[in-house]
Amino acid sequence: MPEISIESLVKTFGAQRALDDVSFTVRDGELFTLLGPSGCGKSTTLMSIAGFQQPEQGRIGVGDRAVFDAAQRISLPAEHRNLGIVFQSYAVWPHMTVHENLAFPLKVRRLKRSEIRERIAGTLELVEMMPYEKRYPHELSGGQQQRVALARALVYSPSVLLLDEPFSNLDAKLRIRARSWVKDLQHRLGLTTIFVTHDQDEALSMSDRVAVMSAGEIQQIGTPEDVYRRPANRFVAEFVGRVNVIEGVVAHIDGGRAVLDVDGSDHRLTVPSSGARVKERLTVVVRPEAMSVLPVDDQTSGTNTWDASVHSAAFLGDHYEYELEAGSLQLIAQTARPVDGARIRVHIPGDACSVVE
Amino acid sequence: MATTSYPAGTLPRPRRSIVPAGVLQWLTWALVVTLVLGPFLPLLYASVRDRPLYEVGGRFTVEPYRELFGQRAFWHAWWNTLQFAALTTTLAVTLGAAVAILCTRTDLAGRRAFSRLVLLPLLLPSLGMVLGWTAVWGDGGYITSFFHQRLHIGTPSINTIPGMSLVEATRLMPIAFLTCQAALVRADSSLEDAARSAGASPLRVLRSITIPMLRPALLNAATLIFTLSIAVLGIPLLLGVPNNIQFVSSYLYTLWTNASSPDPGSVSAGAMLLLSVATFLLLVRNKLIGAEARFVSVGGKATRVAFLRLGRWRWMLAGAIGFYLLFTTLLPILGLALMSFVVFLTPLIPPWELLTWSHWQMLNDGVFRNSIQNSLIIAVVGAVLATAFVTLATLVAHRSPFRLRRSLPFVMLYPRAIPGIIIGIGFFWAFLLTGAIGDWLRNSIWGIMLAFCIRNLPLAYIVMYPTLARIGDELDRAGRAAGAGWWTTSRRIVLPLLRPAMFAAFILLFVELLNDYDPAVFLVRPGTEVMGATMLSEFIQGAVGPVAALAMVQVAVTVVVLLVGSKVFNIETTGGRDA
Repeated sequence: MPEISIESLVKTFGAQRALDDVSFTVRDGELFTLLGPSGCGKSTTLMSIAGFQQPEQGRIGVGDRAVFDAAQRISLPAEHRNLGIVFQSYAVWPHMTVHENLAFPLKVRRLKRSEIRERIAGTLELVEMMPYEKRYPHELSGGQQQRVALARALVYSPSVLLLDEPFSNLDAKLRIRARSWVKDLQHRLGLTTIFVTHDQDEALSMSDRVAVMSAGEIQQIGTPEDVYRRPANRFVAEFVGRVNVIEGVVAHIDGGRAVLDVDGSDHRLTVPSSGARVKERLTVVVRPEAMSVLPVDDQTSGTNTWDASVHSAAFLGDHYEYELEAGSLQLIAQTARPVDGARIRVHIPGDACSVVE
Repeated sequence: MATTSYPAGTLPRPRRSIVPAGVLQWLTWALVVTLVLGPFLPLLYASVRDRPLYEVGGRFTVEPYRELFGQRAFWHAWWNTLQFAALTTTLAVTLGAAVAILCTRTDLAGRRAFSRLVLLPLLLPSLGMVLGWTAVWGDGGYITSFFHQRLHIGTPSINTIPGMSLVEATRLMPIAFLTCQAALVRADSSLEDAARSAGASPLRVLRSITIPMLRPALLNAATLIFTLSIAVLGIPLLLGVPNNIQFVSSYLYTLWTNASSPDPGSVSAGAMLLLSVATFLLLVRNKLIGAEARFVSVGGKATRVAFLRLGRWRWMLAGAIGFYLLFTTLLPILGLALMSFVVFLTPLIPPWELLTWSHWQMLNDGVFRNSIQNSLIIAVVGAVLATAFVTLATLVAHRSPFRLRRSLPFVMLYPRAIPGIIIGIGFFWAFLLTGAIGDWLRNSIWGIMLAFCIRNLPLAYIVMYPTLARIGDELDRAGRAAGAGWWTTSRRIVLPLLRPAMFAAFILLFVELLNDYDPAVFLVRPGTEVMGATMLSEFIQGAVGPVAALAMVQVAVTVVVLLVGSKVFNIETTGGRDA
């Protein structure tokens, strides 16, 4: 399975830049996710790789072959790129049986009948759809159609697998099962895969690496842990999971730590920081589940432990969520155990804080 | 589970199409543009020459225009035409909208049946229907005489401009009905529910929400009906001319047939003028359709349609629509049938004393037999060819990367705005100028078939496009990704899904090609007669009985084909294989 390299793609729709210098490399056998809100350019990127859209600049390489190169005026038509793609709507051809759907790409490749039968059988077994070979798509459930779409994309051994929001039409429970199933399959086949989604849970749970996109630009590329724990900027922090944003001015530097005068309150926050200077403004993000909530009479820890008033508390099944006010600063904290009282203490662990741009 | 059976390894490259997709797309585009726009160039040319194009020599002149514009009768014909078109449009749109609202938004008795039945006048042969009207509502017609002699009440004459408008409005009303019905079905009925909840009475909802929502559809239908009615030829020839009322179309027709020197340039000049007006109206309509998007309510699934309860009006209004259909459709057909079976049509002698088979027997030979044969051949062959051609062109227009594809929908819809007689004159000149091919087309029925097909292209496109638009383009993208080229993807994936629409287009084209006549009146020659043109010329010569019999043949074939077509079509669409 080859590596995919995307170099400086630019695509404009009218005055709007849909892709603004997008570059990344997908390693051999990796599941690489493009994550972002709708309109961020993730689907445009995927469709450019598949050959259904033409960027104005840049290069797309699959292995050592350029399927698109604006400078050299190379643009292979979609049918010659040998990529497997699963669409959001599955796009299982409604007038063909499951067998015929899978046979189509093989017939186009002029395979022998026996070989076609063999390949279809093998692939259907892989997606556990053997008993449904003779069925028409309208006789299948959404989840089964999705498996057929995946099988059709795999049956001709494409060099790369592209997944365009494949789970968004499934209901919540099925979606979670389908996720781990697809991830497992991808891993076992060692397929280089690009996956597009707007769902951060999908992105975090399935990907080897994630590229977070916004407004046609890549904001951060990293492992799921990277983008969640060490977001490169405020957009990534806020898009991937929920986050508390705390802004302040550096009062002094204490070893590898910066001590901030937090805006909107008289509290101070100590965060790990390399290279921050006194009087510099910093934005710090911290996840709600990293904070701890303590009873108001708990005085154990001094640093980063503030008094706060409880604005609202909600029980969410596996945890409790508190909306807190510390001065005029609003914070969200999640905790496994409830804490009583209208006033409490909240602790923000310094190493859970990330300084972002 | 076994993972070893997944076959790995690279496969051979996908096979390339024999015909490169680009070439095919270019050819399709060029053919559409040539066939639709081609005939107008010779027309324009003929209108600025001082002698017919087939004569040697000739030079540029504006004399045909000067001659035509100098005739008071021409301007008078325009004035008549405009009055007629305005009145027809008003009547047809008002009626069509009212029936559409009744059928989609109220509990009118029999609304499902009515929403099918009211379409009939548009599909029935228009020339035959006009004859039927004269049989029952004409000056000596059955019902007219009945009112006059038994009840001593005069009925309005259909040989006047308002009378002709009524006849034409009943034919074109279905267009307004269809447009409004589509808009009403598409519109989210929760908009109306919201007004009801806000305290508005049903009638208030109708006035303040439903009708304003229909405004774009009304404008759209009105422009189309106006355009169609300024071009109509059968009505002025059959009803107006006997009463000395000329329309532009009949004026040009008379000028052409009675000219002292053959094929006068002033007819081409008049045709150019008519073409400009029609084109202008089409452009206006395109603007209106663009504006329509603003009124399309987004969202809202196919919700339950809120019915306005009519109470006892439920049956009274149903009765009114029933009477309307009886008087405007059923009685004219019965009159037509009667006309074909009696020696001459008179309410004074009981018809059974005048019974005769002779009109029907006449259909067996000569020009009548020829016409029936030719029309059937044209309808079958033309409908097959035009369906295939429009399918290909629609695919190029909406499912290909072809650069000029966006121009195709406009070009394909253009003939809808062009008066039939202009298509006739245009092809007449085009055949004269294109050497051997033109001669062959001119001397065979294929020339007439071509003109008829071009005229009815828009119909096929209008039927085809909505179905194509519903077939998600991810389906063809999946085909491309799987390794198939444009043509293979179109043929194996899109075309099978388009089949119901292709079938519907074929049925409608068959009916239209069978009954079309006005382009043919400039193209027929001995041996290439078609039913409509024969009816027109024989009627003018006074052979009413056989013409009625011929019209009955048209009506019968049309009704049978539509019935069979809608049966098969229903099975196709409910086959459950929809995307």
